[in-house]
Amino acid sequence: MAMKPSDSRWLDWINVVLLVLAGMIVMTPTAWMILSSFKPSYEVIAFPPKLVFTPVIENYVTLSKQTPFLSYGINSLIVTFGSTVFGLLLGAPAAFVASWTRITWPAVVALMARMAPGTLFLLPWYVMFRQVDMIGSYWALILTHAVITLPIVIWVLLPYFDNIPRSIFEAAQVDGCSPFRIFRRIALPLVSSGLAVSAILAFVFSWNFFLFSLVLSNSQTKTLIAASFNFIGEGSTNWGGLMAAATIIALPPLILAAIVQRWLISGLTLGAVKG
Amino acid sequence: MASITIRNLVKNYGGVTVIPGLDLEIADEEFIVLVGPSGCGKSTLLRVLAGLEAIDGGELMIGDRRVNEVPAAKRDIAMVFQDYALYPHMTVRQNMAFALEMRGAESAEIASKIEEAARLLDIQPYLDRRPKALSGGQRQRVAMGRAIVRDPQVFLFDEPLSNLDAKLRGQVRAEIKMLSKKLKTTMVFVTHDQIEAMTMADRIVVMKAGVIQQVGTPEQVYENPANLFVASFIGSPSMNFLPVDIQADGLRLADGSLLPESLIARPSGDHGKLTLGIRPEHFELVQEGQGLAADIELVEPLGSDTLVHVSAAGQEVIVRVSPDLRPKAGQRIWLSPAAGKAHLFDPETEIRIDGTGKAD
Repeated sequence: MAMKPSDSRWLDWINVVLLVLAGMIVMTPTAWMILSSFKPSYEVIAFPPKLVFTPVIENYVTLSKQTPFLSYGINSLIVTFGSTVFGLLLGAPAAFVASWTRITWPAVVALMARMAPGTLFLLPWYVMFRQVDMIGSYWALILTHAVITLPIVIWVLLPYFDNIPRSIFEAAQVDGCSPFRIFRRIALPLVSSGLAVSAILAFVFSWNFFLFSLVLSNSQTKTLIAASFNFIGEGSTNWGGLMAAATIIALPPLILAAIVQRWLISGLTLGAVKG
Repeated sequence: MASITIRNLVKNYGGVTVIPGLDLEIADEEFIVLVGPSGCGKSTLLRVLAGLEAIDGGELMIGDRRVNEVPAAKRDIAMVFQDYALYPHMTVRQNMAFALEMRGAESAEIASKIEEAARLLDIQPYLDRRPKALSGGQRQRVAMGRAIVRDPQVFLFDEPLSNLDAKLRGQVRAEIKMLSKKLKTTMVFVTHDQIEAMTMADRIVVMKAGVIQQVGTPEQVYENPANLFVASFIGSPSMNFLPVDIQADGLRLADGSLLPESLIARPSGDHGKLTLGIRPEHFELVQEGQGLAADIELVEPLGSDTLVHVSAAGQEVIVRVSPDLRPKAGQRIWLSPAAGKAHLFDPETEIRIDGTGKAD
């Protein structure tokens, strides 16, 4: 049945209200975190909360003076960058082969591994890395974070590869290309936007992952997110410092997401609209 | 340039046999058209020739070389795909250069081959464009150019005209035919369009359910179809089929009318009921009371000639007549097959029967 214009207008309004509600639910904690990072610690947990206050930067000053935040940041970058590259190096060929052969069960296994709780992997890894004396090394963190990045890369890239007409690969075969050359010369350039989307998502998920770094890093390799845990003490918690740390930690993924949001959305919906 | 020999070729998909054992000889420099309805195995056969599908049985030779286990990349064949399959991220020039680069050709050689092919196909102005900036016809030309620069032993075409509009299709059809004469390379062309098959082929291979029904020149296939399937598939509109009873005084049709023996070579032997096949253009209008009474139901003027749908001998028959006749719906006309142009088929085996009473 055809929809009347007035019905359509109501639906538009309902959509707007739902989107605003969803936006508030998502953004309120972020706004709270950023605002609280500019409040003195005692004001962070004051009730009722103060929306109008005099901003202070003491939390950021304390953070920079009391903790080697920059080196934690570098550690985070090394681990995240390493695991993202590792995920792309393994995940892109894996997704291509899964698409080419139409055998997707390895991709499903990879996704199940991603969905399993991190603690499932943590204990065996801890034992294994201790036996080879790798606890506290960057490699241990990069390899374990690949459990986060690899399934993301595979699952983002799979519909991109599926979307390439098969005849293009076949034309390349007839043109004398080996499967590896088809992957490198034909398939990869055609999924470049998918590579960017998967790299960004892998980066963000790895950057935000807390558990492996908490257990497998040492004071030299601790990542930002694990270091922020230091602000939670047994007797008291430095809420202002914690909020300032959380704000700094959240900035790279937020900035990345803002820069590439249009790309990200089209990339994420590619599988859904595949004809 | 090479001949192709296919001996007892078998192709299965899972548990389904799509080509149950096929034999075909294609001569060097020959233009062969594989034609048949959807699912007849013609594209599968082409893909097997290309090396894109594995062979489950039999032998495939290109020239003197057995290529059963040779991958597509090493068969020295070029293929034009139905959707052209141009590399979207490369320019026309890069598309055409790609196969030569894979072969390790010198850049001067690549440039000269591209120039030569571009001139032949009249695509010089588009060499630095990407495929998405080209029309369907231009893409089609580029796809051919990509094949030509390789100077392959065999060209394969997988329904390359089906995405073009009718006018362009006719034009490109003629161009491909002329190109085949210039290049003097073995060409295998797949289509479901019998007009393409008739106009382009040196020889036509008509297929059904993975089995070759007939191999012959367009004239042979049209004039002497091997069986009911070929007779109905080749020609548009299709051949008319009427059940007849062989009697001592001639061929009796379902409505009781009698066709004189002189018009059709009477088959020897005891045949009884047969199927009479007459092409729409092989009917002649005869005087009232002679031949077959036909009531006009629909008239389709095509300009150059007119198709008349009539009800005759209890079924619909299509007749092609001169537009000057100006037939009208509701009118009764009298038809007779042109002498020597009608065919008889065995309704059980579906094979055409010649005057000796044997299948051709």
